[in-house]
Amino acid sequence: MRIAITGIGMVSAIGCNCTETLQALRNERSGIGAMRMLQSVHTSLPVGEVPYTDAELKTMLGVDEPMPRTSLLGLMAAREALEMAGVNPFTFHLSPFTFISGTTVGGMDLTEQHWLDYQQGLATEHIHLHEAGESTNAIMRHLSPFTSHLSAFIATPSTACSSALNAILLGANLLRTGQAKAALVGGAESLSKFHLNGFNTLMILDHQPCRPFDANRNGLNLGEGAGYLLIEPESEALARGAKILGYINGYANTCDAFHQTASSADGEGAYRAMKGALEMAQLQPEDIDYINAHGTATPNNDLSESAALIRLFGDQLPAVSSTKAFTGHTTSASGGLEAAICVLAMQHGFIPANLHWSQTAEGLIQPLTHTRQQALHHVLCNAFGFGGNESSLVISDKGKDLSEAPMTQWLHEPIHVEMVNDQMVNEFVSPAEARRMTPQTRRIVAAAKKAMQEAHIDQPDAIVCATQYGCMLQSMRFLQDMIDSKEQQLKPTPFIQSTHNTIASLIAILTGNHGYNATYSQGKDSLACAMTDIRTQMSLGLIRNALVLEFDEEVEAWDKVLQHIGEKTQNIAKATIITL
Amino acid sequence: MEQLIEQLKSQIIDALNFEDMTPADIDTDAPLFGEGLGLDSIDALELIMLMDREYGIKLADPKAGKAIFQSVRTMAEYIQANRTK
Repeated sequence: MRIAITGIGMVSAIGCNCTETLQALRNERSGIGAMRMLQSVHTSLPVGEVPYTDAELKTMLGVDEPMPRTSLLGLMAAREALEMAGVNPFTFHLSPFTFISGTTVGGMDLTEQHWLDYQQGLATEHIHLHEAGESTNAIMRHLSPFTSHLSAFIATPSTACSSALNAILLGANLLRTGQAKAALVGGAESLSKFHLNGFNTLMILDHQPCRPFDANRNGLNLGEGAGYLLIEPESEALARGAKILGYINGYANTCDAFHQTASSADGEGAYRAMKGALEMAQLQPEDIDYINAHGTATPNNDLSESAALIRLFGDQLPAVSSTKAFTGHTTSASGGLEAAICVLAMQHGFIPANLHWSQTAEGLIQPLTHTRQQALHHVLCNAFGFGGNESSLVISDKGKDLSEAPMTQWLHEPIHVEMVNDQMVNEFVSPAEARRMTPQTRRIVAAAKKAMQEAHIDQPDAIVCATQYGCMLQSMRFLQDMIDSKEQQLKPTPFIQSTHNTIASLIAILTGNHGYNATYSQGKDSLACAMTDIRTQMSLGLIRNALVLEFDEEVEAWDKVLQHIGEKTQNIAKATIITL
Repeated sequence: MEQLIEQLKSQIIDALNFEDMTPADIDTDAPLFGEGLGLDSIDALELIMLMDREYGIKLADPKAGKAIFQSVRTMAEYIQANRTK
């Protein structure tokens, strides 16, 4: 099967559609500037904001209900992609319509705005929107007035800054197994005080416009936005006379398995992801015309990514640029936005510049500093996230026939471990390992190790976590502290541990697992999403076994909020090994 | 100085969640990173925040922490010389 891209949609600080984005990229006009929309005290930090308030976005989109900014940005980009593809998801034969949208922030913007209201039982109509999966559902509800999301497959990958690229990977695999006739895939993320303050505690925010790959780079600028691709089998696209913009020819996700926030010095995870994507596309390094790097402009990322690029491409390194100097780092949306930018560049025959670069240093690759007109045949797009979650995607102008497979069942009984008492925690988690873990995190780590031991599998091919709320205890600690302190003197650890993919990446780091690593946050359907991903990859022969983690934790502070809508959090720590 | 060192050890144990340790378990002159306590880059950020919260010392450049956080003693000496509260 050849996987065709027939629509793209994008929103960021440099434009609310493809036309505006194209103009900004060609004119080398960055969207990074002073903070205007986000109500943070850290006004000296430059950001890449979409220049409309939530109210303005709602008017533009015809939305009149509470909706996280993440969903507003997502809806705008999703509509553009569907329109370009000439697809109405609910009249076209796309049953079930597949929408996969990565995010981490989700509705955190509403939660932080209304936190004090919630304590008094006010503004309760916003509470349910906190969940990452709910922000995806909100987009889905507005893609058509006639939709019921029951008729759709919806998934929210939440692997921090690689979330949107992982959405594309899952979508492509669903097409190859005949589970979807088309998929709208990518991600959305708004700015929030929460993650602005979080990155600030990591001391990796530049007070100047960011300078990816420059010797004097001093950190990233946060941005916001959304980016989606509409993908479908080439045969379907041709049959309905759709214009094909490009093809998904290769992709891979790996785990660096090194550290929760730092990338390894030799860029092992990034190297494996790019190599895997090239191998799947059956391309040699010299075949690639352009690499859209992750290139956040932090000292660590750019050095590690350079090491991986030099290892893989040697002296055949093609033009490389990070478009984050245009858009800022749009975190979970970046993989979708930048993949869409790659398609746009291929369509119009140019390579976007890496702005603000002036000086190289040992170990760093030298990026392309000015827009170049060039026909593009094969483009590589990188997105890397916390926990060393590394994904790479090859987009080409001609399609490669990718293997297909019907869905199969696993043959062996799954091995479950669900308990977990203190004795088991002590047996499987050393005090040094446990130091930064919440009690529930210790239980899931113990359960995972026990399940692997019982199954005699040290290194599962995939680690996939299902979680409704993610690492809520650390999230709520950071949020409460941020609000109480008015954004001053915050501790970094709760933020680092707040991403939904903390658990899956922690287990990969503890066991040195470089395999596939994913996390889904789709409310009560999170486990179904995780199982769909695993079954799909098993059917395609990509993995033979997987460690499935089910995680949630009881959090008093959040229960005080949830009581207003009659819900509560619960402790879940369950590990399962599935073998083909 | 000795009093500051003891206080600092307690604060480090607290900030970095060394649940089962007491100040007596930390060697004043042992390296904090690598060997010794085996701290990492996240801990360095926590120590920078500790100095800010407890002693009113703001470090703008995380790289500056390297020299300061060699041991509890070097950290205490730096705090003694630079504290604003």
